[in-house]
Amino acid sequence: MSTAGRPTPGFWEAASAIARGMATVFKQTFRPDTTERWPAEIVPTPERSHIGRHRLNRHEDGLEKCIGCELCAYACPADAIWVEGADNDPENPVSPGERYAKDYQINYLRCIMCGLCVEACPTRALTLTSYYELSFTSREEAIWTKEQLLEPPPPLGTDPVDREGR
Amino acid sequence: MTDEPVTLTIDGKEITVPAQTLIIRAAEQLGIEIPRFCDHPFLEPAGACRQCYVEIEGQPKLATSCTVRVAPGMVVRTQETSELAREAQVANLEFLLLNHPLDCPVCDRGGECPLQDQALAFGPGESRYREAKRVYEKPIPLSPLVNLDRERCVLCARCTRFCDEISGDRFIELFERGAGERVSIAAGEDFRSPFSGNTIQICPVGALTSETYRFVARPFDLTSADGVCPHCSAGCNLRVDVRRGQVVRHLARDNAEVNDAWTCDKGRFAFRYPDDPARITTPLLRDRGLEPASFGEVLGWVADRCVGSRVAFLTGGRLLDEDYYALSKLARTVVGTNDLDHRRHEGGAVEVWAASRPMSVAYADVERAPAVLVVGLDAEQEVPILHLRLRKAARKGARITVVHPRRTRLHDVAAHVLCRPGEEASLLREAVRGAGPLASVVEELGAAGGAGVVLAGERCSSAGAEAALALARTAGARFGYVVRRANDRGALRAGVHPRLLPGGRAVDDPAGRAALAPLWGDALPSTPGRGRRAILEAAAAGELDVLFLIGIDPLTDLPDGALARRALENVPVKVVQSLELGDLEPFADAFLPAAAPVEKAGHVTTWEGRRQRVEPVRGPVGLSRPDWEILAGLAAAMGGDLGFETLDQLDAELERVLEAGLGTPDAGAVEPFVGPDPRGGEEAPTAADPGSLLLFTYPLLVDEGRLSARADELKAALQDPAFVEVHPDDAARLGLAEGAAALVTTEAGRAEVPVRLNEHLAPGTAFVPFNNPGLVAGTLLAGSFWIPAGLEPATVSRAREASA
Repeated sequence: MSTAGRPTPGFWEAASAIARGMATVFKQTFRPDTTERWPAEIVPTPERSHIGRHRLNRHEDGLEKCIGCELCAYACPADAIWVEGADNDPENPVSPGERYAKDYQINYLRCIMCGLCVEACPTRALTLTSYYELSFTSREEAIWTKEQLLEPPPPLGTDPVDREGR
Repeated sequence: MTDEPVTLTIDGKEITVPAQTLIIRAAEQLGIEIPRFCDHPFLEPAGACRQCYVEIEGQPKLATSCTVRVAPGMVVRTQETSELAREAQVANLEFLLLNHPLDCPVCDRGGECPLQDQALAFGPGESRYREAKRVYEKPIPLSPLVNLDRERCVLCARCTRFCDEISGDRFIELFERGAGERVSIAAGEDFRSPFSGNTIQICPVGALTSETYRFVARPFDLTSADGVCPHCSAGCNLRVDVRRGQVVRHLARDNAEVNDAWTCDKGRFAFRYPDDPARITTPLLRDRGLEPASFGEVLGWVADRCVGSRVAFLTGGRLLDEDYYALSKLARTVVGTNDLDHRRHEGGAVEVWAASRPMSVAYADVERAPAVLVVGLDAEQEVPILHLRLRKAARKGARITVVHPRRTRLHDVAAHVLCRPGEEASLLREAVRGAGPLASVVEELGAAGGAGVVLAGERCSSAGAEAALALARTAGARFGYVVRRANDRGALRAGVHPRLLPGGRAVDDPAGRAALAPLWGDALPSTPGRGRRAILEAAAAGELDVLFLIGIDPLTDLPDGALARRALENVPVKVVQSLELGDLEPFADAFLPAAAPVEKAGHVTTWEGRRQRVEPVRGPVGLSRPDWEILAGLAAAMGGDLGFETLDQLDAELERVLEAGLGTPDAGAVEPFVGPDPRGGEEAPTAADPGSLLLFTYPLLVDEGRLSARADELKAALQDPAFVEVHPDDAARLGLAEGAAALVTTEAGRAEVPVRLNEHLAPGTAFVPFNNPGLVAGTLLAGSFWIPAGLEPATVSRAREASA
């Protein structure tokens, strides 16, 4: 905001503005602390939160819900998802129907956790979990494969990379 | 009915269009989009889908704008101004979607589907239909290439109309009527049409899908470029799609001047060759045990061996104009030889004709011609899009006559005159004199008043092609010389020919050399060089030091299989410049990796002489480079200079050279070559021995050519193992039976192949495909595409050998 044209504030106006600002600082200083002491102490996330990495779900009979349609990749604003479809073997299907995902990768260096992919998914195959402990030691490690995404997330605080920080 | 332009009003806007225009086309010109499924600009109107309803003032009911032609003063209201039309379109879309499975996430068409797009743009959004949908078995293969999903079909009949009207291969049809109506094929039949892929591309839903593109990608995954098909000289405009660096699809681009909206199945499905694992993308040197080396090292090594040596260049027909020009200039100005050739068929004087003029017959001329004479060309197998144009001409009433040793697929629309290979010349000369079976054809061509067309395939003997040219002149018809490979014409134009400089100037003509002097210098070799056969003979006799093989495998690509092997064994230095080594691996001393067609910018010349621009869809893989760059590098390594460093400079120079008036031979002055021509002007040898037939060959559309590598679905659909075709009378005489093995013996070699009987074959001849699995026909040939051959049942020969 431009201040041009306004009269120069006098001493008391300036002093009161500083005092008002400092009052806010002091008030915050003495409020109770809400910082979580992660990873020393793991606070459970709210039950319905979906703030963490994705998961590829399965039907009850074990078949994958993902049909490799690539709608998630299309919806992704960060181009973080790679899907390759393939023909199901009718004798030994991976998913119901004709098509399944031969390859499915999410690059967590690109993912911005917006959840548009989950909205786009026509089969509810892709959902977000509350597993937010995503740390990597290489670019390759940041690309999660289909096998990793099909696994349910481990309990928070058990990732070996994260535990190093304790 | 008059042909006056018609003025009408659409949505309050006035427009004047030619008479007989359909309302939907007139609306397109005004930028008004009427939704449609069955309408296709290159198919006849059908009115099958009922989607394009418009209101026409004064007519009690809505009309389908794809079937109604314009009339003077007509007032049309589309969905944009007529609530009635809009409601009808919405209702029709809801109706079309009643039985549509809406399995878009699974469907290959998802993302590029006219039904999806138009349902979004014009549809109701919600369906009121709650009942069970029609269910069919999910995709049933119509052929190894085409899958049919009947649930998704909206019965627009585009595919069946394509087969009826365009390709004439009526394999699929609408069966049953009413709710049970569906596209189907006769039980046990295969959709064995070389144009089947077009039905996939024009299907407005995902009912017909391609096996090679099944679940491979979505439109947003693809990087595309405008390419031109590398498979034959038809020059189909293609869209080349790449996903993460791999070519995954070819589609036909619309170009009414060339391929309309079509391409053949080879152009569509043989696209995996640039990603073949056999491809080599680094230079190799034999001194290192054929191990990778740097370009500089290999070029230096090759250059050292070229200076002061006897060097010859053989190339194929699939490089770009620019590559050929660089080769032509390198050979003449730096190496100083005329020993270079690209041809499989040595065509004589007609080559001067083809090399010296840009375009004399275009596809449009073929389409408009009232009479067409086709000599020595099996258009469906050799230049399939020309075949479709000929069929289109026939539909418009053209009288087509085919002179060929074997009946071609034009048989339902054309008269065939079966003649032994090599006898075309005498038949045509006879016709010019007003006698023989073709006399009436000459009259028809004459009556066409300059609109008649004579097309001579490159397989005519040189005398045959010259006779066809003479016949065309006599009848006042247009003449086209139809070469087979994608850029044979470009190679001719650029002077990759032992006797011709660029633009058809003769090497031994001082005026021609002088015309090129400003660009090429004045020290050009002036004696005609050796052609393909002579180069191989010289090589076999140890008279060459260095042989360049640029984009060619002489062991399989040429009708000199045995000679080529001797040649490779007797040349000290063999330099291979190609995508891969293949059969040449034991012979190559140096390998230079070339970029694939989809990786190069430049021009390709169609059989007509039309130069078309090609754009690369990706960069060259590995260290591979465009051929012209490698050749320019070689020139530099030899201490020469081709005079261009960028493609633009090369293009500018090439255009100057091809420009008329720079000493190109006059249109009329085409003199026959003097000197030995392997096929000569002579007639075909008559088979003196009664057990002998005249064996002829040409490549069928889908063969074992290198560019069909890994096109397994295509081969499963359209390729047969090698066979020998014999007339039933000859078969009876020689004791050959359908399906039984025959031993074919020629002066060059022998092979055992199963017999097929074909009553539509010139008696006294036998046909083998050039390179189908099981037989490389080049090993049976001696320089020409026909040769006298002895045929006998294999059982007889085996018994004889056993007793001996």
